[in-house]
Amino acid sequence: MTTETTTYRERRVRSLAFARIGDFASRWTFMLPAAIIMIAMLAYPISYMTQISFSRFDLMTFSPGEWVGWDNYAKVLADYRFWSSLRVTAVYLVFALPLQIILGFGIAYLIHAEWRGRGLIRGLFIIPMVVAPVVAGGIWRMMLDPLWGIANYFLGFFGIGPFDWFGDPNLAMASVVIIDTWRWTPFIVLIASAALLSLPRDVFEAAEIDGANWWQMLCYIALPLLAPIIAATFVVRWLGAVKMFDIVLSATLGGPGAATKVINLFIYEEAFRSLRFAESSAMAVLVLVGTTILTGIFLWGSRRLENEP
Amino acid sequence: MTTAVKSFRWGRTIRIWVGALACLTFLFPIIWMVLTSFKQQTDIFTSPPTFIFAPTLIHYLEGIRPAEVPHRLLNTVIVAVGSGLLSVVAGAMAGYALARIKIRGAGTIGVLMLLSRGVPPVALAVPMFLVARKLGLTDKHITLILAYCTFLIPYVMWLMRGFFLALPKELEEAAMIDGCSRLGAFFRIIVPISLPALLSTLIASMILAWEELLFALVLTNRNASTIPIAMAGIAQDTVNGANWGALTAVGTITVVPVVVFALLVQKWLIQGMADGATKG
Repeated sequence: MTTETTTYRERRVRSLAFARIGDFASRWTFMLPAAIIMIAMLAYPISYMTQISFSRFDLMTFSPGEWVGWDNYAKVLADYRFWSSLRVTAVYLVFALPLQIILGFGIAYLIHAEWRGRGLIRGLFIIPMVVAPVVAGGIWRMMLDPLWGIANYFLGFFGIGPFDWFGDPNLAMASVVIIDTWRWTPFIVLIASAALLSLPRDVFEAAEIDGANWWQMLCYIALPLLAPIIAATFVVRWLGAVKMFDIVLSATLGGPGAATKVINLFIYEEAFRSLRFAESSAMAVLVLVGTTILTGIFLWGSRRLENEP
Repeated sequence: MTTAVKSFRWGRTIRIWVGALACLTFLFPIIWMVLTSFKQQTDIFTSPPTFIFAPTLIHYLEGIRPAEVPHRLLNTVIVAVGSGLLSVVAGAMAGYALARIKIRGAGTIGVLMLLSRGVPPVALAVPMFLVARKLGLTDKHITLILAYCTFLIPYVMWLMRGFFLALPKELEEAAMIDGCSRLGAFFRIIVPISLPALLSTLIASMILAWEELLFALVLTNRNASTIPIAMAGIAQDTVNGANWGALTAVGTITVVPVVVFALLVQKWLIQGMADGATKG
């Protein structure tokens, strides 16, 4: 009698365990393909790179050799070119992102109205964004050409220039910012237009009745209401901008000198031109950690703004 | 009263003009590229720049021959379609799991996916190249397809997660009560009704893969080389001087198909770019 109940209970426990395993398996099957690819192509390379960054890299066998501790990191941190390329990247980010966001929201605010051509404008505004960055760099390289470029020709109408866009370090940086801004501002205009449409109208009407002028409405009503979307747009652009590589490669090649050599291009050249894989891995690890921390902070900040009423 | 209406109309007209002007400014570089690609060499290098010229196809027929465009176009199509399909299947399944199935650690996976979008590709390119070389996988389409999945899967996952969250739950619950497995319910019920969204995501993913440069530079050589590499090669070629005819011809070939597809899925494309940060 007692044995029978135990076996019954055991069987029940066992079948429950099977059901649970089956359930677990059926839940995770959905994750499996993505997880396998992401582990093999993302997690594994990153861990392999970390290993290389702590080793001497043997070019004969093309694999990491003996363990050297923090040597590669010390070498990289003592390399002025590393710091210079970080500074270049920071300058690009500090100029490009605010410029794109201000221009994008500004244009959206200016053209914000209900009219028939909106759909068409939206369709046309999406085009610069899907131009491959390498092509964007190429077109602008042609348009900004100091001798034959159409940019200097247009600027000539206003009595400005001619500029040697790729010869002067500051102008070269400016042209990288211009190209990136050209590619991304329309996208921000689209997001901002949608955001403006979703703003509550009665608040603006009430403010207008109370005698608020255009500037006050912008500063005290529109901007605070738009803050979460502006923050989110910033995060999206940040995620794209840390990948800056193609435009620089095709437009300025990092030049003149190293004036536009952003960190991604510098690491690329160190690894694949100079074959210094250990040092470039150390740099890549540093950049990876840095961007991940900053991305985390920005995401957290933008979430907080969004959740605040 | 009339003045108010008048000023309203004026504001409206100004808005429309500003919009049109902005549009023209942003589209001009592309128009200029397409125009230049049909110009004779003598019309390209004129001052002032000319808008009226006798069109020629010489750059498309002769100028781009060294760039091996047909071969590279074929590679780009293979890689874009392959990585697009693979990441849409894997990403949609994972997105469904995040949206509907209670998995322990789903929150962590979501955060990891988001953070992975901030990984600079050069940090992956270095080790990927070394591993691919070790395994003899450089210059193969499959390597590039898998490499592109690293940024396409998180993108698809996030987009489809949002889409699945908005679907009514009763659909697959009914199917599962009728004896469908979870996987069966997904493929028989969810996939068919999500087909438009999946297709748009696929096109958006293929566009992203089409334009990728860094992984292609690092992981391919000749055999699997893609069209952005041709573009980078011409743009950097300072030895032969400014070959603007070939530059703009290759640029036009690269951009036109993408623009056509992008216009088809414009709404989805913007949403996909924006959602990564705004939702979750």
